[in-house]
Amino acid sequence: MLFFKPLAGIVIVLTLALLQGCVVTRGTVGEPIQEEAVSAIKKGKTTMAEVVSSIGAPDRIVRGNDREIFHYYYYDGKSPAMMLILLNFIRMDVKSDNLYVFFNRDGIAEEVVYGKRTDRTRFKLWPFGD
Amino acid sequence: MTNVASHFHSIKLVVGALCIIFLCAGCSVRRATLNDVLTPEQVSFIRVGQTTIRELADHIGAPDELTESDFGVVALYYWSDTKSAGLDLGAIGRLFLPYSPTMRLNKIGITPEQLQVVFDPQWTVRAYGFSRKSTDEPIIWFWPF
Repeated sequence: MLFFKPLAGIVIVLTLALLQGCVVTRGTVGEPIQEEAVSAIKKGKTTMAEVVSSIGAPDRIVRGNDREIFHYYYYDGKSPAMMLILLNFIRMDVKSDNLYVFFNRDGIAEEVVYGKRTDRTRFKLWPFGD
Repeated sequence: MTNVASHFHSIKLVVGALCIIFLCAGCSVRRATLNDVLTPEQVSFIRVGQTTIRELADHIGAPDELTESDFGVVALYYWSDTKSAGLDLGAIGRLFLPYSPTMRLNKIGITPEQLQVVFDPQWTVRAYGFSRKSTDEPIIWFWPF
């Protein structure tokens, strides 16, 4: 039993020594878009009020081609960093999800455009390469 | 004789390690990426007058912004790859001196890029194009002059 205590101490000291200078940051903007709510929007049926009640008020309202377009967005950023005494590596990866719901003049959804990128956001420290 | 050779080998290792430390000393490399890069090859499927906004989203995802212009609705896709590197010539001094001298060279290259797609009133592509882009900046390039 006595053997394990120094070993545990060494492991803790080594872990702390290896992790010193490590910085991990995560930042998000907005709320994640619920895919179930997106797939529940039926073209030609779902009303503007129903969209607002299931997803919430849009982040932006755009007017285009004489239509109202609701825009919902969500940003997710991951940033690992290694701040050593002589050498620093900092990397940040930010991606966004966007949902557009196009309404006709009667306030009925006629098109839904959704793109998800945030599932590909990664904590990648190495700044070189793609 | 063997002892002298191995001793010399150890000295070479130490000198080599010190050289690497001195070369890396004060180096700082930062990189920030926003969204995925879109290439002309990825949008080669677009046919002006035929491709709809639905088909566009199925291939490359939803745009980051929709805005109305005099020519029709414009879909904007944004991405960027920002590279920044710095060299702090005073970093080595921190190991020996109580005062840390600051002598820094920094360079940052922010390259926001865009794909713009203009739609007609039927939501089919009227025109599209990429923002202008110079050649790729190297990741480590701290000389600011």
